[in-house]
Amino acid sequence: MADETKPKKGGILGVFKDIVYGMSSHEMTRYAVRSRASMEHLFILITMGDLLGVPILPPYYSLRLLPYVTPQISAWKRRMLRERDITDVLG
Amino acid sequence: MSLRTVFESQPDRRYIMFGGKGGLGKTTLSATCAFWLASQGKRVLLFSVDPQASLSDIFQQDIFGKGPVPIMRNLWAQEVDADRRIRDYQEEIRKKILDMYGFDRVPEEIDNYIAAASAEPAMEESAIFDAVVDIVVQGDYDYYMYDLVPLGHALYYLSMAKVYDEWINKITRLREEMRQYDQVAATMRREKTMEEDKILGELLYIKERINASSQILTDRRRTAFFFVLVPEEMIILDTRKAAELFSKFDVPISGYVVNRVLPPDLGKGQIPEYLRNRIAMQQKYMRDIEASFGAQILAHVPEMERDITGLGMIERLAKRLFEEVSAR
Repeated sequence: MADETKPKKGGILGVFKDIVYGMSSHEMTRYAVRSRASMEHLFILITMGDLLGVPILPPYYSLRLLPYVTPQISAWKRRMLRERDITDVLG
Repeated sequence: MSLRTVFESQPDRRYIMFGGKGGLGKTTLSATCAFWLASQGKRVLLFSVDPQASLSDIFQQDIFGKGPVPIMRNLWAQEVDADRRIRDYQEEIRKKILDMYGFDRVPEEIDNYIAAASAEPAMEESAIFDAVVDIVVQGDYDYYMYDLVPLGHALYYLSMAKVYDEWINKITRLREEMRQYDQVAATMRREKTMEEDKILGELLYIKERINASSQILTDRRRTAFFFVLVPEEMIILDTRKAAELFSKFDVPISGYVVNRVLPPDLGKGQIPEYLRNRIAMQQKYMRDIEASFGAQILAHVPEMERDITGLGMIERLAKRLFEEVSAR
C-alpha cells in the first residue's frame, strides 16, 4: 500500500506500534475491509440490479446513486457473473 | 355536511384530492373546488399527475409542462411533463458522472443503463411521484389540489410510497453498517479522518422526500380525499372496493361526491321512455349510494346541459355546488 512506504513519524515508538498493529489488528482490519467490500457488492446489487437483468426496485432513485458507484460497476459485474467452482467453497 | 362545510370547518386540510374511476369528473370537480377556493381569496395550485392530463382541456389553454400557469386571480394550474422530466434527469446524471470523474464521455455500459432505465414502466410513475414532492414541499400555496389519476394508478402511487420507504430504510441500514466496518478499519489503522459517505447522504435525502410526500397523503389533519362516483352499479361496487383499499393505506377519506345526477323534475313532464328508464335507474342506484355512504355524501352534482370547459362553465358549477342547495 502506498502509505506504508511513507516515512513515519514517531521513531522507535512508531515502529513498535506498527509491529503491534501487524501482530494484533491487521487481520481484523483485513476482515473489516473484506466484509465492507462484500457489502458494497450487495449494495450495488440491490440498487443497480437491473444492470444484470435483475430489476429489484424502480430505477428513478437508483439512477441518483449511479454516479457514486460508477467506478465499482465493472468489478461488481465481474464478481456477480463469474463462474464458481470448488475452490470458491474452499477459499 | 356539504363540500363547503368540509372546507370551512377544516381549514387545515390543505391537500385536496379527488379520486375515482376514469371519466367520472375528477378533473371537473377539482377545477370547480379550486375555482371556488380561489374566489374565496385562497391561493390554490391545481396540479395534475396524470400522464394524460386534462387540465389544459378544462381551462382551454395549453399549460402542459409549463410549470404553474396563472388561470385567474389566486388560481394556478400545472401539468407535469413526465417525459421531459425524465430526459432532464438522465442528462443531470450523465453530467454528474462526467464531473465527478473527469471523463470525456460516460462509459458505454453506464450510458446504456441510464438509457434503459428510462424505458422501464415504473420510471414515469416514479418521475411523477418525485415531481409531486417538488410541488408540495414548496409550500407557497394555501391549497394544493391533486388532480389524481384513475383509481388503479392512485393505489399504485400510494403503495409505492410505502414500498419506497421500506426499501430506502433497508438500504440505509446496510449503508450504515458498511460505514461501521469502515470505521473499524480506520480506527485500527489509527486513521483519524474518514471520508464522508456521499451515498448515505443521498439515501437520506431520498428518504426525506418520500416521507414528506407519503406523510401528506396519509395525514388526517392536513389532507382531504374525496371520492367521485356516479349512480351506476359498477361504479358503486368499484368505489366501495377502492374505499376499503384506500383506508388500508391510511388515506383519510373525507367524503363522497355523486356526479352526473339527472335533474329529478325532468321525470315529471312528457319524456321519452329511454330517458324515463335512465331516471328510474339512477334513482335506484341513488338509494344504493345513500345506503352505502349515507352521511358521507357531500354533494350531488347535476348533469349539466353541456360539458364543463372554460371558466364560465366552471363558475356556474361552483355556484351550484357551493352556494345553492344540493340538486337532489
